[in-house]
Parts: sequence; structure tokens; C-alpha cells
Amino acid sequence: MIKNLFTTVFLFSFLLFNSCKNESKPEVSENQQTSKSLVEFATGFDILDHEAYKILSVSQAWPGSKKTFRYALLKEGQKLPDSIEADAILTIPITSIVVTSTTHIPALELLGVEETLKGFPNLDYISSPKTRALIKAEKIEELGQNESINTERAIDLNPDVVVSFGVEGENKSLNSLQRANIPVLYNGDWTETSPLGQAEWIKFFAALYNKEKQADSIFNSIKDNYNSLKKEALKAKKKPTVLSGAMFKDVWYLPKGESWAAQLVADANAEYLYKDTKGTGSLSLSIESVLDKAQNAEFWIAPNAFESYQSLKETNDAYTQFAAFKNKAIYSFAAAKGETGGMLYYELAPSRPDWVLEDLVTIFHPELNSNKASHFFTPLE
Amino acid sequence: MILLFVVNIALGSVLIPLKAIIQIILGDDSVKEAWQYIILDYRIPKALAAIMTGSGLAVAGLMMQTLFKNPLAGPFVLGISSGASLGVAFFILGGSALGLSAFVVPNGWGTILAASLGSFAVLSIVLLVASRVRDAMALLIIGLMFGSLTAAVVSILAYFSPAEELQRYMFWSFGSLGDISWDALIILSFCYFIGMILAFSVTKSLNSLLLGDHYAQTLGVSLQKSRFIILIATSILAGSLTAFVGPIAFVGLAVPHLIRQWFTASNHWTLMPACVLGGAVLMLFCDTLAQMPLFEFSLPINAITSIIGAPVVIWLLIRKKKLLF
Repeated sequence: MIKNLFTTVFLFSFLLFNSCKNESKPEVSENQQTSKSLVEFATGFDILDHEAYKILSVSQAWPGSKKTFRYALLKEGQKLPDSIEADAILTIPITSIVVTSTTHIPALELLGVEETLKGFPNLDYISSPKTRALIKAEKIEELGQNESINTERAIDLNPDVVVSFGVEGENKSLNSLQRANIPVLYNGDWTETSPLGQAEWIKFFAALYNKEKQADSIFNSIKDNYNSLKKEALKAKKKPTVLSGAMFKDVWYLPKGESWAAQLVADANAEYLYKDTKGTGSLSLSIESVLDKAQNAEFWIAPNAFESYQSLKETNDAYTQFAAFKNKAIYSFAAAKGETGGMLYYELAPSRPDWVLEDLVTIFHPELNSNKASHFFTPLE
Repeated sequence: MILLFVVNIALGSVLIPLKAIIQIILGDDSVKEAWQYIILDYRIPKALAAIMTGSGLAVAGLMMQTLFKNPLAGPFVLGISSGASLGVAFFILGGSALGLSAFVVPNGWGTILAASLGSFAVLSIVLLVASRVRDAMALLIIGLMFGSLTAAVVSILAYFSPAEELQRYMFWSFGSLGDISWDALIILSFCYFIGMILAFSVTKSLNSLLLGDHYAQTLGVSLQKSRFIILIATSILAGSLTAFVGPIAFVGLAVPHLIRQWFTASNHWTLMPACVLGGAVLMLFCDTLAQMPLFEFSLPINAITSIIGAPVVIWLLIRKKKLLF
């Protein structure tokens, strides 16, 4: 009898759960023909301008996401038609913002709106000098950890919008912010696989500030720079072989053949030794298989966080067996750090693939572009 | 305790003057909206959750210690929190490790649901075993074995998971009283009151159990029935609290001891209400500390409860020189 009582009690509370479900299945009834998509390369988001309102949709908030988030952007005086449902509604242009990833910072700076940034979790990660100056002037509030933002501080700041990277599952602090009527947008720039696609996410931020024209011209100049570098690289006489990554506790991680990094190497007219692997994430290989396949790679780029040949040798003697080690042909971005230790590459590279390409072309084909100052990659010490 | 409740609401990461707090509670709308939200929808639910967590776990711990006649028993000795951890691990880490696609769960209830399902699964197995096994010690050992089993499965899932998911799982396991919505609080209080009613209904049996199983039977206590109720009450309290707030260590284990030393009584009619009060007070105090008033970061509640509680228990035992169990 006690067991029955317990079961009924539990079932009852389960029913209570269900009665609290939120309905939010958006009904797409907008006329697709009146709006033009403004996004060329990126596959994870789209902006549809309907004159009376704008819809910013994020289809890949995290890898493999099946849900498309739709955010309605309304100018002053506009109202969203009742037939359109959105996961968040914003009035643009916004005047204050909280972002949660360093990859969002360059977009703000390029658009000239970095002063609207009011809070950020883990301020020490930010490398860019412009934003660090704002941090020093105490204009940007520290919000704790990315995974559990300090809810009280974030609510007190009362930003117009919080841009977070999407999480599978849920984030309690973000839920609290949404309950406090602060819109939370998911930014999936890190899921984008093509270099120009990732840079195009500047348009995501531009839509919030009504600065689409500016974003277009910035992106077009990055795109043109990228494409001209790509063409230039094709003039090279040789196509060198390239290795990437390093070991982390017995496992060598390197980018798969269709990933962002691999595409950059291919566009720099070099032969990434693992370019035939399928997928966009990372490979986990053993030292033996890497040694077997890549011992004679002419160049080795991005050996994790190593900054010197000495530290490579001390960590694992096997590294010294690589031809690139012996010929001192290893290039790393680990030396480019911000004032407080943040890695500049992680922050800026996704927004400026043309600079990364420039570095790579200079490294792989020195006869084409000598005397160009490097943006991220420097030879290992 | 009322004083501590007020102090808990008054202190936090954002400095809100006491006058404003009183205004907000009295319904005055002129105070800054963000502050209204913080007090009414963040700090007050948090304080209420702290009271329920502290008292619920303390009472559950007391029942476990009496049932198993073991001073080291706590509310999670049956493996409830291990079951909840396993459920949450599957939810958070299972996505990439096992290739499970994220099913869309109503906003924010995913971890709660996963934890409840996990504890419920363990509870069913424990009740099944309890009906077969006469000896209470066997239950204890089975609970411990569950703990090891789930820890092993979780470590396999963790091995294949990316860093962000691991961090999220770890943060869940640190426990968090904040960010609980009023809806969730209502459901939690529902489970809490059921658990407490069941717990108080067996106070007499708990007293008899202190004398030993056979003596208790001669006093007219039905061993099977009271064991069942004790197990269910503990599971409801421990399971629902873990589901909503995460696994909070130490409180369930230490507060009964603190109360026993303080009150030097073994009558459960005294001990149970005292544990309710003592648990709530301890939790409110630890939560106020964990919020690190005026600092921008806050500490995980699990760490604070242990850092504060352990030395206190040690000091008490050294002072009194014997356990008084």
C-alpha cells in the first residue's frame, strides 16, 4: 500500500512537470520571396530582412543541432506580426551587450561598437588591446565563469542582449537571465567549418546594431584579400607537405581533412597530410601512426601550446624524430598572447582568416611573400 | 534562523541596500527593476531552497544513521546521489560519447528530469532488495556498490567527452542553490513536504530502533513497514533535493552529529525538529558565505559546506571526547 501511495505521488508530480511545459514551436508563415538572404558562405545562420521586421535564424547553435533558433529584430516602432513566433525579440539597435566568447570581441571591434560591451566571463582571456583598455578603465564587468555566469551581476547590468555560444542541454544561469526578460541569443560561429563562413558571422552582430552595410564592406574586403592570397599561392612552384598538432597525454590531436584549419592549409597551396580524412573535428592518433605517416613532413604548424624546441624535446623525445624538428621548420601561434595570457589566435583568427592565410602562404612559399610581418604564426624558439 | 534568512537575502554579489530590500518585499515598484528581480526571483528562491536542502538532508541523514546504526551513514548511502549523477551524466555527457541526439526537453527541466529518473531507478532497485533482504547492513553495502558502479560508468562517459561538457557536468556536481525558478521551487517543496511528513510519521519507530531490532519488535514496531517508510522518505528527500540542487555533500552526515553533541539527547522527538532547524541554519550560513558578498565570483556550495562543517565536527568531538552515538 505504501508502494502504491508512493507511485501515485510520483506520477502526480510528474503530471505537474508536464503542465508547466512551454509552447514554442515557431510557425513559418512569412513570405520568403519578399526577403533576401544576406549571407553567402556561412551555413549556421541566416538573416532575412522583411522590411517590417528582421529574422535572425541560427540553425547550428551547436554541432548537429536539430533546432533552429529564430530571433526577431525590430526597429523602434515596429511590431512583430502575431503569426510569427520567435525564440527572442529584440529592439535594434541595441545599446549594451554581454558576450561570452573571445571570438565575439573582434566582430564588435571591427564594427566599432566595443564600448557597448558591458560584461564578460573570464576577462583575462581577452587579448585585444582596445578591449583591454576598456577593461582597465573598469567599463566591463567580470561575470565569473562561462559555464555558470554570475546571475546577480548579469541581471544587475541589465544588458539589451546576451550572446552565448549554444549548449546542448541547458544552462541554468542563462535560463535565469531569460526569466528576467533579458534576451539570450545563441552564436554558433565556432561550429562553422569554412574560413570565410566563420568570418561572415560579423554580420550576426551587425544585424543587432543596424550596421549591415558596414559589415558587408568589412567582410567583402576580408573576402577579397583572402581570394587574392589564394590566387597568389597558386603561383608557387612547390606544394609542401604539412603536419599539425601535438600530443596531449599520449594522444595526438590534429584537425580532420574538412575542418577549418585543413581548408586554410589547402587554400595556402600546401599538402596537409591528413586532408583525405572525412569530418570537421579532430583526429585522435597515436604517436606511432603520426610518426609513420608524417615523419618527413616539410612543415609543422600549430604544435598545441609549445613555444620552444626545448620544451618539445623535454616533453617527449619522439618529437625530435620529425624532419620538421630537425630542420627547424615548426611554426606556432602560441607566442602571440594578450597582456593577461589570452591566446590572440583563438580570439582573432576566426574573424580574420585572410591574415591566417597570409601567414601560412608566407611560411609555405617564402619566395612569394617575403618581408611580410606575421600576424599570428612565428617560428618556434 | 529568521535572522540568517534575512542576512542571506541581504548579501550577495550585487550590493543592494537593506532599505531597498524592504521596499521590494513590501511590493514597492519604484526600486530599480533589476534589483526587484534579483531579490524576488533569485535570492528568495535561493534562500528557501537552502532551508529545504539543509533540513531535508539533515533529517534524511538522521534516519539513515539510526536505521543502519552507523555514524558514517548519510542520506546518500543508498546510492541515491550516484543514481542521480548517472542520470545527469547520460544527459550532459551522453550526447557526444554515445552519439545520443539531444532530445528537446521543456526548457530547463532536462537535468532535473534526468537526475530524478536516475534516483528513481536506484530507489526501485533498493526497495526491491530491501523486500528480500532482512539485514540492514546488506542494504548499506549494496548502496556503496551502486556508488562505485555509477562512478565507473560516469568515468567512461567522461573519457570520451569534450572539455565543455565535462566542465558542465563538474559544475552540476558542485551543487548550486541559485538559478532555481519559482515553478521548480513549488515542485521541490511538494516533494519536500511529503518526505518530511513520512519522516516524522516514523519518529516513534526510530526511537525503538535505537534499542535494537528485536527489542523494537517487542515494542510493537513492524520492522518491515517502518524500514520501508524510512527508505522511501529518505529517497524522496535526498532524490528530489539532488535533482533540483545537485549533490550536496556533508550536510546530511554532519548535522545529526552536531545536533546530538549540542543537545546531548537521543530521543528522536527532540532530534528531528532540531535537525530541521540545524540543517537549515547551516545551509543558510554556508550559502551566504558561498555567494562571496561583494566579490564577483562565487564558490561552489559543496566546498563551503565541507570546509565549514568538517572542522566544527572535529572540534566538537575533541571537546567532548566521545562520540555520543
